[in-house]
Amino acid sequence: MKESFFRSMTWMHTWVGLLVCWLLYLIFFAGTISFFRDEVTLWNQPALHQIATPSNRIQIQREQIVAGYDYLKNTAPDSNRWGVYLPSEREPQLNYAYEKPRPEGKRFGGWQDHYINPVTGQDVDQPRETQGGNFFYRLHFDLHYLDTRTARWIVCLASLFMLVALISGVVIHKRIFKDMFSFRSNKGSRSWLDGHNVSSVLALPFHIMITYTGLITLIFMLFPYPAMTAYDNGVRGLFDDVQPTNVRTKSNPEKASLAPIEHVLDQVYTNWPDADLTQVTIRDPNKASATITVRANTGSLVQDQSPTMLFNGVDGSLIAKTNQEFSASETVFDSMTALHTGRLANPLLRWLYFLCGIAGCVMIASGCIMWAKRIRERMKKQQTASFGLKLVEGLNLATLMGLPLATCAFFIANRLLPITTAERADKEILAFFLAWLAVALFALFKRGKRQWIQLAWLNCAACFSVPLINAITTEGNLISYLINGQWALFSFDLICLVCAALFIVQVKKLRTATSKTAPVKRSSRSPKKQLEEQKA
Amino acid sequence: MNELLQFSLCLLAFNCFALAKFNHYRDVFKNRPTKKQSQRFIIAAWISILLSLVLSVAQNNGYGALLFCGYMALSLLILMIFYSFKASWVKIMSAVNITVLMLSGLFLSVF
Amino acid sequence: MHTQPIENSQPLMERAKLSQFYQTHKYRFAVFSRFLAAILGGYVFTAVFTSLLSIILPLKKSDAVLLSISLTILVYSCVFIWVFAIKSLKRIWITILLTTTACALCIAILKDWL
Repeated sequence: MKESFFRSMTWMHTWVGLLVCWLLYLIFFAGTISFFRDEVTLWNQPALHQIATPSNRIQIQREQIVAGYDYLKNTAPDSNRWGVYLPSEREPQLNYAYEKPRPEGKRFGGWQDHYINPVTGQDVDQPRETQGGNFFYRLHFDLHYLDTRTARWIVCLASLFMLVALISGVVIHKRIFKDMFSFRSNKGSRSWLDGHNVSSVLALPFHIMITYTGLITLIFMLFPYPAMTAYDNGVRGLFDDVQPTNVRTKSNPEKASLAPIEHVLDQVYTNWPDADLTQVTIRDPNKASATITVRANTGSLVQDQSPTMLFNGVDGSLIAKTNQEFSASETVFDSMTALHTGRLANPLLRWLYFLCGIAGCVMIASGCIMWAKRIRERMKKQQTASFGLKLVEGLNLATLMGLPLATCAFFIANRLLPITTAERADKEILAFFLAWLAVALFALFKRGKRQWIQLAWLNCAACFSVPLINAITTEGNLISYLINGQWALFSFDLICLVCAALFIVQVKKLRTATSKTAPVKRSSRSPKKQLEEQKA
Repeated sequence: MNELLQFSLCLLAFNCFALAKFNHYRDVFKNRPTKKQSQRFIIAAWISILLSLVLSVAQNNGYGALLFCGYMALSLLILMIFYSFKASWVKIMSAVNITVLMLSGLFLSVF
Repeated sequence: MHTQPIENSQPLMERAKLSQFYQTHKYRFAVFSRFLAAILGGYVFTAVFTSLLSIILPLKKSDAVLLSISLTILVYSCVFIWVFAIKSLKRIWITILLTTTACALCIAILKDWL
C-alpha cells in the first residue's frame, strides 16, 4: 500500500481501527459488564438479595430436584417443558420453572418462574421484571434493536477489524518491550499514545484471545463451509457427530407416565459421585417422547460444554452422555468458547478478566481520541475543522461519555420504575437508549472541552446516584452489604462510587490541562484516571 | 496462598525487567546500572516469570495459564503506576513484594 | 452530416470524463478496492481454503472440521494483513482469484462434483 511494510501497517492500523472503534467500544463495554452477568442480574432483583447460599449447597441438590419434580408434576402437568435450576455460587435462588402455553404460531411460550429460598425452603416473592445482566450480554453481540443475524454479522466484521488492528498494532509498536512501563502524562497526544500503548500491551494476550475466541463463538454463522463440505447435512451433521447428547426426538403427544426421578438421579450419582449439578430440564413431560437432561458444572476445566446426561423420560434409561475424553481438536475448539465466556472463572480470575476488559475499553477510547487530537494539533490556527473531524469528535463524545450515562440510567430505571409497570424490562432498556440518545443529540451541537466537562459532571452524578437510590428504595445499602458479606452487591455499589470519583478526576484534569504550552507538573494521579480524562 | 505466590513471582519478574532498563533503574536508584547488574536483573526476571508460569500451569493446567495472563496484566498495571508516578516508592514496593513472596512460599512449604 | 462526428464524440467525451473522474478519485478507488479485496476476497479465500482443509486433514471427520474451523479466523486475518502489506493491487486480486479457484477445483475433484 505505502512505500514500506511498516508504513502500510501504520496506515491500516489507523483506518481499520477508526472505522469501527465506537462499535468496538460498545462491544467491549457491554462485554466487560457481562463477565458479571449473574451479579448484575442479582443486583437488579432486590427480592433475591436476602437469600444466602447454604453451606451444604451440593449435598442438598438431590432433595431440591426431587421436590421440584413433584412441584412441577402437580402444577404444570400439561406444560411442554420443565426446568429445575439449582442455586450456584453466583445465583442464590432455586428456580422451578415451566413453559407457559405457547401462543399460536410461536415455538416457545416463555418461562413461568417459581423462585424458592434454598435455605428456608419458602417461596420468594416474584422478583421485578428485568433483563439485568442479560441485557448487556445480548447487547454485546445482538446490538438490541437490530435484527439478530444482521447485528451478528456487523459484530463479526468489527471483531475481525479489531483482530487485524491488534496484530498490526504489535507490528508497528517498535518499542513494545522498551516502553512497557512508561507513561508520560500531560504531554498532549503523546500521553494519549502512551495510554493507548500501555493499555493494549498490559492485556495483550487477553485482547487477542478475547477477539479471536469471540469470533469463534459465532463461527458457525460466519464460516459454515468446512462443516458443509465435510458433512452432507452441514453444521447440524457436525453437531450430531460431536455431541452425543444432541439427540432430537420427535415430539409424540401420546400420554405416558414419567419415570421416577430417583431412578434417574441414582444413575447420575453413580456416574458422577460428587457432581455439582446446575440444572435438570424435562422436555415433553407426561408424553411418550419425554426426555430428561441433567447438566453439571464444568468446575475449573477450560471447557465450555457442560457435562450432560440425557435420559428417556418414560423408562428412565440413559440415552446419551457427553464424552469426557476430548480429542485434541475438540479441546482446542471447545476451550476457545470457554475462554471467551469465562463462565469457568472463580472470583479472582473473574476480576482479572474484568480488569483486562477495562484495559480494552481504555485502549479503544484512547485510540479514537488520539486520532481526533492529532488532526487538531496538525491544523493551522484559522483552519476550520473538516466534516470528518467533527464527526469523529462528535462520535467520541457521544459514545465515550454516553455509554456510562446510559448504563447508569438503566440501573436507576430499574429501581425507580414502579414494579407493576407493564413490560417493565423493556422500559428499563428504553431508559438506557433514551439517555444515550440525549447525549448523542447534545454532542450534535457542540463537542468542545466544556461539553466534556459538563457530561463528566453528569456522569459523576449518575454514577453516584445509583448506590444512593439503591439505598433509599431497597432495604440494603453499601454498609449493610459489607456487614452481611454480600460481596456481589457490595462490589457493584463500590464500583459505581469509584466511577463517580473517576469522573471527578476527569473534570479536574480537563480544567487544568488548558493548553499544550502550559507548564506541566508531574501528576500523581493513577494512569487509569489519566486515560479516562479528556483534553480538548 | 498458591495464587499469591504465583502473583508475587510474576510481579517480581516484571519489576526486575523494569530495573534492567537504564531509565527506570536511574529513576529508582539515582545512579547508572552497570552492564552486569542489568544482565543479572534480566536473568532473575526470566527465572521468576518462568517459575510463576510453571507453578500456575502445574496447579491448574489451562485454567492456570489463563490466570497467569491475568497476573501479567495486573503486575504490569501496578508497575506502570509506580514507575510513572511514584518512582521513589518502588523500593518499598519491591520490599513488600519480596516479603509477601517469602511468606507465601514459607506458608506453602510448612502446611 | 454534421451530427455524425458529434454523436461519435459523445461516448469519447464520456469516456474522457470517466477517466478524469477516475484520475481525481484514483486514491479512493484504490483504497476501496483494497478493502474489498481484504474483506470479500479474504472471506471467500478463507471459506474455500478451510473447506479444503477440512477434507484433506488426516484426522477423524469431526476433528478435521473442528480444527479447520478453529483456524479460519487466523487464515482470514493473515490474508487481510497480507492484502494491505502488498503494494500492487493487481497482484493481490490475481493471487486471491487464482488460489481460490485452485482450492475450489481441488474440493470439486475430491468430492466428485465434476
